[in-house]
Amino acid sequence: MTSEEAVSAVTATENSMPEYALSFDNVSFTYAADSPFAVKDLTLNVKRGEFVSVLGHNGSGKSTLARLISGLLQADKGKVTVLGLDPSDKSQVGEVRRHAGIVFQNPDNQMVASIVEDDVAFGPENLGVEREEIGRRIDWALKTVGMEEYRHSTPTRLSGGQKQRIAIAGVLAIRPDIIILDEATAMLDPRGRREVTEVVRKLNKEEGMTVILITHFMEEALLADRAIVMNRGELVAQGTPEEIFEMGDLLQTYNLSLPEIGVIREELRKNGIDLAPCLRAETLADEIAAYARDRGIKVNCPAYMPEQTAVHYGGEWDISIENLTYTYSRKSPFATNALNGIDLEIAEGEFFGIIGHTGSGKSTLVQHLNALIKLPQAEKKYKKPKLRKGQQPPVESHIYVGKYDLSDKKCPWKELRSDVGMVFQYPEYQLFAESVFDDVSFGLKNFRPDLSREEVEKAVRESLEVVGLDYGEIAEKSPFDLSGGQKRRVAIAGVIVTRPKILVLDEPAAGLDPKGKKEIMELLHTLHRDWCKTVIIVSHDMDEVAENCTRACVISRGKVFACDAPALLFRRGEELRSLGLDVPLTQKICEGLGERGIKIECDMTAKGLCEVLTAALSKGAENA
Amino acid sequence: MLKDVTFGQYYPADSFVHRLDPRTKLLFLITYIVMLFVADTFYGLLLGMIVLFAAVAASRVPFRSVLRSVRGILVLLAFTSLLNVFFHGGQTLLAEWGIIKIYLEGIIFAVFLMIRLVFLVMASAILTLTTTPVSLTDGLESLLYPLNFIKFPVHVFALIMSIALRFIPILMDETNRIINAQKARGADFESGNFIRRIRAVVPILIPLLISALRRAEELADAMDARCYSSAKKRTKYKKLRFGAGDLVAALVVAVLIAGIILFNVYAVAIWPAAAPYVVIS
Repeated sequence: MTSEEAVSAVTATENSMPEYALSFDNVSFTYAADSPFAVKDLTLNVKRGEFVSVLGHNGSGKSTLARLISGLLQADKGKVTVLGLDPSDKSQVGEVRRHAGIVFQNPDNQMVASIVEDDVAFGPENLGVEREEIGRRIDWALKTVGMEEYRHSTPTRLSGGQKQRIAIAGVLAIRPDIIILDEATAMLDPRGRREVTEVVRKLNKEEGMTVILITHFMEEALLADRAIVMNRGELVAQGTPEEIFEMGDLLQTYNLSLPEIGVIREELRKNGIDLAPCLRAETLADEIAAYARDRGIKVNCPAYMPEQTAVHYGGEWDISIENLTYTYSRKSPFATNALNGIDLEIAEGEFFGIIGHTGSGKSTLVQHLNALIKLPQAEKKYKKPKLRKGQQPPVESHIYVGKYDLSDKKCPWKELRSDVGMVFQYPEYQLFAESVFDDVSFGLKNFRPDLSREEVEKAVRESLEVVGLDYGEIAEKSPFDLSGGQKRRVAIAGVIVTRPKILVLDEPAAGLDPKGKKEIMELLHTLHRDWCKTVIIVSHDMDEVAENCTRACVISRGKVFACDAPALLFRRGEELRSLGLDVPLTQKICEGLGERGIKIECDMTAKGLCEVLTAALSKGAENA
Repeated sequence: MLKDVTFGQYYPADSFVHRLDPRTKLLFLITYIVMLFVADTFYGLLLGMIVLFAAVAASRVPFRSVLRSVRGILVLLAFTSLLNVFFHGGQTLLAEWGIIKIYLEGIIFAVFLMIRLVFLVMASAILTLTTTPVSLTDGLESLLYPLNFIKFPVHVFALIMSIALRFIPILMDETNRIINAQKARGADFESGNFIRRIRAVVPILIPLLISALRRAEELADAMDARCYSSAKKRTKYKKLRFGAGDLVAALVVAVLIAGIILFNVYAVAIWPAAAPYVVIS
C-alpha cells in the first residue's frame, strides 16, 4: 500500500466513524469447558480517544480482554466490536489488528529482530508497506517513544523500560488507532515504569489514540480518564480513578490493595484527622497543610536528626566484603566493569536491603555471597601475578561470610551454599521436578545425602508449611499445575529447606500483584523471625525497602553510594534522584510538608509517619 | 561461564572488511574455498596466502584472533594430513615398513593439504569475525532469493534465522541463571561418572525447555498481533547495497582466480627444477 492509499484508508474509516473505539456486548469466555469464566457477561464501551485503565488481580480476566479485542481469542457468547469490525470474523481480523495494537508483558518475548529498526519495521513489512514509508514510520515511532538514538542498537543491551518502549514503537509503526497495554509495566523497575507510562500518556493526549491500560498498579490507573475493576472475570466497578480509590476497603474484597497513599489517608482518618481524597504526595501535603492552617496549628519540630542505628557486629554470621571488584567477559572486547570496589558489612540478624536499578551490579554482588561467582584467588587455576620491581601489588578483594573465608581455595563451597540460601528473581521458572516434594527436597538431598527418608519428609513438610502451603494437599502435585503465587512459594521452600543461616532474595516480589507482594513480604518477616538469622533482599522498590528493612545500601555504577537505616538513607532524596532512583512515598510526603512549612520527624514506614503526623497535629492543637 | 562466550565471535571494529556487503563477503569466501581446491601448486597457495593476509590486515582484527579459530581443530587437521602421508602413492620411495610405504609425493601432498585446510578455516573466521550474525542472515536471504522461484519460502527461512539469533543470547542468559539457581541448591555438575552427570543436567534442561515453550507461545501471539501472516506478501525494509569497496573485493577475486589458474598451467615452466616439489601430482 502506498502512503496515499494508507491515508485514504484512514479517512475512509474516519468518515464512517463508529462512535465507540471498542465495545463488549455481554461477552463471556472460558478457556476450557469445565473451567470457570475468564470473562463473564462483560458489557463495556470505550469512546474514541478515551484512556481507560483496567484494574484487577492476577487471574481476574483482564488479560483475556486484550486477547479478545485482537482476535487472538474468540468470545463464547456475546459480541466484541472494534471500530465497527468483528475480530472473531476471519476476514476482518487482519483489519482489526491493523487498528488495535497490543504491547505485551515481557519485552523480550515480543521482538523478532536483533536490531531495533528491523524490529520496528516488522509490522509495516507484514502489511506490505512500501520501503520509504516504512523508513518514515520508523523515524516517527522511535521519536514518539524517545528512542531515536538507539535505532541501530541491539535490544539485549537495553534496559527493560527501553525495550518496552521499542515494543511500543513496533506497535505504533502499524499506525493503529487503539493501543492496548497488557500489563506492559509489570516486569519493569520504577524508572522503566515511569518511562513507559509517560509515553502512553503522550500517545493519548498528543496523538489522540485510544488507550486501554491493563495493570495491577493502582498508581498507573491515575493517568486514565476512566478506570474499571475486574474481579473473577466480572466488571465490578467503574468510574474516575478518584472514585475507584474512594472505594477503600471494598477494593480488598476484589483482591486489590489500596495504594500506599490511600493507606496513609485511611490511617490518619482512623486517628481523627479527616482529609479530602488525594492521589499524589503533593496533594496530600496540601491537604495536611490546609488542615493545620484551618485549626491554627503550627508544626515546627527542631531540626531533627534520627540517631545512627546501632549495628551490632560480632555475631557468628556477620558478612564482610572488602574492595570487591568484578569484570564481565574479561579480556574480550565486551569487557564491562560490574563492580568497582565494594566495601560492605552486614551484621547477623539484619533485614538488609540492596537498592539499585537494573545494571547497577547488585545481582553480581549477591552472587558472590555464596560463591556462585568465586573470587579470583579462590579459583583452582589462580596464581599470584608476578610483580615487576617497584610495582605495587594489586589490592585483593575479600569476602567473609560467618566462618567462611571466600578467598580461600579450600573453602567448603557446598557447606557455604547450604548456609547461604539464595532465591533468584522469578524463582518459579527454575522448578523442574515431577512433584512438589521432589522439587523442594532437591537441595536437601544434594547437601545432605545422609538423611533418612523420614527426616527429609519432615524437613519438606516444615518448609512448605512455613511458606504457607498445605503439605498434604500439595506435596504430590506437579509444580506446573500450581498458580503463580503458589509456584513462587514452592520455589522459596526449596531454598529454605536446608535451614540456611542467611537468606538472600533477588527481587522477591517482582511481577506480583499488590496483594501477592504484601503476602511475600509478610512471609519474609516470618522467615526472618523464626527460620534464618539474616535476610537480604535485592530490590528496586523503595517503598518495599522503607517498609521492611532495618538497613539498606544503594549500589550505583558498581560502588556503594550510601549505606544506612532507611530513615537516614532516604532523606538524601535529591542525591538518590540524581542517580535515577526514586524515594519512598513517605519521604515525598515529608518533602512536600517541608515546602509548606510543616517540619516533622520523617518516619519512612507508612504507619510510623501516621503516628508522627497524628502526634504533631494534635500536640500543635493543644498549644494553639 | 556461558556469559563469557562472545557470541558468534564477532569482533567489533570499523574497517574496510567490516563495511563490505555481507553478500560480497559470502561470495568471496565461497570463491576463495573453491580456488583453494582448484589450486594444485604452491605458487597458487602463496597467492592465496597473500590475499588472506591482506584481508586480515584490512579487517583490523588482531592476527591472533584469526589464528585462535584454527587452534581448536588443529589436531583434526594434523591427523587428516598425516593419514595422507601413509596412503598417498608416488614414485620416490623414502621409507618402507611392511605394507606402509612413505613417498616424497605423499609428504608434499600432506603439507599442501594442511595449508589448504588452515587457510580455509582462517578465511571463514575472517567472515564471522567481521560480519554480525544479523547481516550474515540478511546476506544469506538475499543470495537465496532465486530459490523463491522454486517455491522455497526464503523469507520464512530468514525469519526463522533472525528469531533464532534474537533468542540465543536470551536463552544463554536464562541457562546461566538456572545453572546458578540449581548450584545454589547444591547441584553439582562437575563431578561423578557419566550417568550422574547426564542426570545432573535434568534440573537445567526442564526449566529451560518450559521457558522456551512459554516464550515461543508469547512470541507467536505478539507476531499475530503485529499482523504477521506467512501467506501474505511482505515487503522488506532493509535493502543491501553494494559500494565501492565491493568493487575492490571483486577485483581481488578476479586476480585470485586468474592467478591460480595461470599458476596451475605454467608452474612447470616457471622453474622446471623445482616442479617436483611445487606441483602436486
